[in-house]
Amino acid sequence: MRSVLFAILTGLVGAALLHIIIILALPQFTGKDAYTRVLGLYEMDSFFALSSEPGSTGLANDDPFLRVAVCGFSIDGGPARFQASGTVPFWSLVIYDANSNEVFSMNDQTSVNGNLDLVVATPIQLVELRKTPAESLAQSIMVEMTDQQEGYAVLRALAPTSSFEEAARSFLAESSCEPFRR
Amino acid sequence: MFRIPLLVALALSIAFGVGIASAVSALKATVGFGAIALGPWVAFPEAQTAKADPYARAHRARAGKLLYGGAEGLQFTAAVDDTGAKLVATCSYDITGLTPPARFWTLYAAGENDMALRPGPELPSAFNALTVLRQTDSAFVIHVSAEAQPDNWLAVRETGAFKLVLTLLDTPTAGSSGVVDLTMPKIVKTGCGNA
Repeated sequence: MRSVLFAILTGLVGAALLHIIIILALPQFTGKDAYTRVLGLYEMDSFFALSSEPGSTGLANDDPFLRVAVCGFSIDGGPARFQASGTVPFWSLVIYDANSNEVFSMNDQTSVNGNLDLVVATPIQLVELRKTPAESLAQSIMVEMTDQQEGYAVLRALAPTSSFEEAARSFLAESSCEPFRR
Repeated sequence: MFRIPLLVALALSIAFGVGIASAVSALKATVGFGAIALGPWVAFPEAQTAKADPYARAHRARAGKLLYGGAEGLQFTAAVDDTGAKLVATCSYDITGLTPPARFWTLYAAGENDMALRPGPELPSAFNALTVLRQTDSAFVIHVSAEAQPDNWLAVRETGAFKLVLTLLDTPTAGSSGVVDLTMPKIVKTGCGNA
């Protein structure tokens, strides 16, 4: 009898250990995390506008009034630049690294002239950009990404009624997410 | 003579069974620690940051949602009404009051899998700060029901439990620790079934 109790106790201790291991290790192997889904769209370096029905990756416009576009990017070879302009009542952008940790987020009121112009770079690339500032980057917001070289950007545009739909769609369609070259 | 292998098998099956089941149920039950709860409304302002706890990280990796950044907004969900009873589509509810300060807000009903309910293209399935009808003091009353209602009607289908999702866009709520003082709209059950 005592050995059965001992076996149950051992099992429970093992269960506690396994619980901790699963929770800590899960982000590495789910294969369902947002970055993997963004990569599954096979659209690097350009904003991909999502539909309202989830596609094969399971990403969709969750909110009925927000149109969402995503872009996977890498700053391994050089900085990435995000640009968008247009007249929508509200837009917002968030940059995530490959682990889905927020690097930077902004909306139209925290932008320059209401246009999106953002450069994401590693600290070393940023030093070079600041040493010899390019003319075209005079209005750009510079964001440093320290730990990771890869990530994804999520751009949202608000369409409160169906008459704003066209503006929101064209805002996302004309947005760009490209490697920055001088 | 099979006693020892039997005990080992018992210990192993308890370890794997309980370990896996508890991890899965913990991830299903909550998005993690660090929630702010305002009545029935719950939000996780740090779930998308590097400061998120291991449960929040595991949950977001498993759910694979595109979360809202700090400057974008804060998403509140409510799965219960003000008395703590589960929201079910066979009952009708009134959402009354005002939202915390934000540039814009949107409200929709979502199913268990967090997808927005789409009762039909001709039915009103979502509201925002622009489309909602307000009273003279700018407060609003939204009737959530499967049956047609006057004024603000948020249509749901009679398909079991649902959640209400209120997204505040560009809100000081997201970055403030004084969020507990804010008042959210109340969710009050007004009736069930055909009664």
